[in-house]
Amino acid sequence: MVTSHNKNGISKALFKSVNIAPLIIFRIIFGALLLYGSIRFVAKGWVNSLYIEPDHYFGYLGFEWIKPLSGEWMYLPFVLMIVAALFILVGFKYRVAAITYFLAFTYVELLDKSNYLNHYYFVSLMSFLMIWVPANRQFSIDAYLRPSIRWKRSPAWTINILKFQLAVVYVFAGIAKLNSDWLFEALPLKIWLQAHHNVPLFGSLLEAEWVAYFFSWFGCIYDLFIVFFLLSKRTRPIAYVAVIVFHFVTWLLFPIGVFPWVMIFSTLIFFSANFHEKILHILRSFFSSFSARPPFNPSVLRYSSFSRKMITFLIGTYVFIQIVVPFRYVLYPGNLFWNEEGFRFSWRVMLMHKEGYATFYVEDRSTGRMSEIQNLDYLTETQEDQMATQPDMILQFADIIHDKYKGKTVTYQGQSFTFEDPAVRAEIYVSLNGRPSQLFVSKEHDLTALKYDLRHRNWIEPFKD
Amino acid sequence: MNWSKLIWITALLGVALSSCKKDDDDTEDFDKAALLSNLSGNIIVPSLNQFESDLNVLSTAVADLSQNSSAQDLETARDAWKNAYLTWQTVKIFDFGPIRDNAFKSATGTYPVDTTDINGNIASGSYTLGTAANADAIGLPSLDYLFYRAGALDSIQSNPNCSAYITDVVNKMVNETNVVVNGWSTYQATFNTSTGTSSTSGFSLFINEFNRDYELAKNAKVGIPLGKQSLDIQMPEFIEARYSGISFDLLRESMVALQKVYNGNSFSTGAAGVGCDDYLLHLERSSLNNTIDGNFSQIISTVDGFSTTFENAMQEDVQACNDLYLQLQQQVVNIKTDMTSAFGVLITYQDNDGD
Repeated sequence: MVTSHNKNGISKALFKSVNIAPLIIFRIIFGALLLYGSIRFVAKGWVNSLYIEPDHYFGYLGFEWIKPLSGEWMYLPFVLMIVAALFILVGFKYRVAAITYFLAFTYVELLDKSNYLNHYYFVSLMSFLMIWVPANRQFSIDAYLRPSIRWKRSPAWTINILKFQLAVVYVFAGIAKLNSDWLFEALPLKIWLQAHHNVPLFGSLLEAEWVAYFFSWFGCIYDLFIVFFLLSKRTRPIAYVAVIVFHFVTWLLFPIGVFPWVMIFSTLIFFSANFHEKILHILRSFFSSFSARPPFNPSVLRYSSFSRKMITFLIGTYVFIQIVVPFRYVLYPGNLFWNEEGFRFSWRVMLMHKEGYATFYVEDRSTGRMSEIQNLDYLTETQEDQMATQPDMILQFADIIHDKYKGKTVTYQGQSFTFEDPAVRAEIYVSLNGRPSQLFVSKEHDLTALKYDLRHRNWIEPFKD
Repeated sequence: MNWSKLIWITALLGVALSSCKKDDDDTEDFDKAALLSNLSGNIIVPSLNQFESDLNVLSTAVADLSQNSSAQDLETARDAWKNAYLTWQTVKIFDFGPIRDNAFKSATGTYPVDTTDINGNIASGSYTLGTAANADAIGLPSLDYLFYRAGALDSIQSNPNCSAYITDVVNKMVNETNVVVNGWSTYQATFNTSTGTSSTSGFSLFINEFNRDYELAKNAKVGIPLGKQSLDIQMPEFIEARYSGISFDLLRESMVALQKVYNGNSFSTGAAGVGCDDYLLHLERSSLNNTIDGNFSQIISTVDGFSTTFENAMQEDVQACNDLYLQLQQQVVNIKTDMTSAFGVLITYQDNDGD
C-alpha cells in the first residue's frame, strides 16, 4: 500500500531540487574509469583472445542472434567505447556518447557468457542509467558550447538512481554471502587465502583459519551495511576509509582487475554536494575558460504532472526489476551454487570456487559407437573452464558438437560412419568449494534431446554435501 | 603478485596486525617455495642433465653407426635411444619456461611420425629439420622408425643419406637440449620464487602442465590408438614407438615419472622431497592424497601386468586395454579437479578480470 505519506516521500526523493555537482563529478569519474577500462582491455590483447580467436560463442538465452563482427572488425566496438568514454569524460555530445558506450559495451558483453562478470553487468547498467541523467549540464564541452543548457540544480532522482544502483550491488553481494559455506566454513576464502602463504611476513597469517573467517564475516557485514554508513553524514568519513581498505585488499589478493577502483571512485557519489562543489571548484581553477558562469537555467524543476508520473513509473519499474532479479533463484529447487539456476545478474561476487572435468562423447545412433570429444578442438581454455561447471553452457556446447557432426562421414581403417543425427553425451565431475568432486552430469542423458530454456534442469545430478 | 602489491600488503597488514600473535596450527608445515626448489633442484634440472648425457651417448653411438654400420652398432644406438626416450618421460612434464619457449616438447616427442616425410627427406638428401613441414619427421619418434623399421640396418648400410639423416636428427636434439639446459640455469632462480597465485606464476604453470601432460599421456599413449576418439575403431598407426614396440615401457615410465613428481621424489635417487602430496596433507586432504598416489601405483601395476606389446594387447585382450584406459581416465578428475581446486590454482591459462 502506498500511503500518501510514502507518496510524498517518493516524490521528494525523486523530484526535490538538489545540487547537481555530485552528478557532474560522477560523470567525470565514470568517464575516466570507462576510458581506462576500455583501453586496458584492448592493451591486454583480450579483444583478440576473447572475441576474435574463438570458433564458437556462448550467447545468452534469447540473445543468441548477437554475433561477433568478423575478424579485426571486433576492434570497432572497442574503438567506439574508447571514443565514447572520452566524450563522456569531457562532456561532449554527452547523450550520444552515453548511448554509444552503453550499446557497444553491452553488445560485447552479450556475445559470450564465458566472459560474464558481475562488474561488467554493473558497467552495462550504469552506462544505461547515465544515458538518462543530465550529467553534462556543468563543466562540460556541451555546456561550454551551449551555455543555455547549464543547470545548477537537478531533480534528486538523477543522483539517487545511481546511489540506488551502487546500493544494490553491495547489499545483494552481502545477502549472497549469507550461506553456510561462506559464514561457517569460510569457503572459498579459506582456499584462496592459503594460496598466498608465501607472501613475506604475512603468509602464515593468510593461511590461518581465523583470518579466513575474519575476512568472510567482515566482507559479508561490509557488503550488507556499508551503503547505510555512507548515506549517513556522521559515519561517512570512516565508512569511506573502510571502502578504500576493503577494495584495496581485494585488489591485492585477487585477480579482479579494475573493479576495486570502480567501486572506490564510484562511491564518492555518496558524499555531500558541498564536497563535490569543492572538487568542481578545484577543477575549474585548472580550466579557467570553463569558469565563465552565465545564469544557470532554472527550468529544471518544472516537470509536468504527466512527466512526473512517467518518470516515477519508469524508475519504479527499474527498481523493481533490480530487486526481484537477484531473488529469481527461489523459483528453482536444489542447490543454487551447484545448479546455477538464477545465478548470474545477482551480484554473487567472488562467492564460490568451482572446478570441473567434462568429457563429451558424440554417438553414432545407428551403431551405438561413441567417440570422445577433445573440448579444446572447439573451445578456448577459458570457455572450457567456464563451460565444465555451468549447465546452460554444457547444453550449448553439446549443440555445437551436434552441429559439427550432423551429416558428417568419418572413415577409420576403411570403415565409414555417417552421423545422421548424432547423440551427444557427457560425463562431468565438479568440485564445489574444494569438496571432493561429484558426478555433475551423467553419460546417460542425450544432451541434444534437452532444451535450453529457463525451466529447472532435472538432468543435473543432485548435490550431496 | 608483483612487488608493488607486496609492499602494499606488507604495509597494510603490518599496521593491522602488529599486535596480533601468530597462532600455531596443528597441521604439518608446507611451503610452496620449498616445493618449487625441490622440483627444480632435484627433478627438473637433474632430468634435463640426464637427458643431455643420454643424448650424448646416443650421439656417439650414432657416429659409430654411420661409420661402421654393424648390427652391434645398431643395437648400441637402439639402447642409447631407449634410455633417452625413458628419461624424456620426466622431462616432457615441464612444458613451461625454457622448454615451452623453445618448443622443446613438440620438437622432441611428437608422434606418430610421418614416414613419407622421413623417406622423402632421406631420398632427396636436402631438408631443413626445423621447419613446420618436418614437424612429424624428427625427434625421438623418428628414430623409432629409422632404427626399427623392417630392413633398418640395410638402409643404414646402403644409403649414406639415411645415416646422415639419423645424425642430423640427433644433432638437432643435442643442440636444443643444450639451449634448454642453459635456459634452466638462469630460469631456475626465477622459478623457485614464483609462488604467487596468478596463472603465470611458476607454481600455477607447473600444476597446469602436470595435468596437461597426464591427459596427453592418457590420450596419446593409450586412448587414441585404442579408438577412444574414433568410434572404438582401433588406430594402431597412432601407437607411440610402434616399430620398437616399447610403448608400454614408455607409458609405465611416464606414470612413474608423474608419480615421482607428484610426491616430489628425487629424480636420481628417489629420495622423498616436498611435493604435491605434502601440500595436500598440509591442507588436511590425506584421503585425496591416498587416492592419487594409490591410483598411480595401480596404473603402473596394471601396465606391468601386460606381457606383450601394446599393439598385440589391443588385438588379443582389448578388455584389459579398456580397463587400463578407464583407470587412466579416473585419475584425471583427482588431479585436475580435486587437487587443483584444493590448491586454489586457476586452471584458466588466461589472465582475466575475475569476479
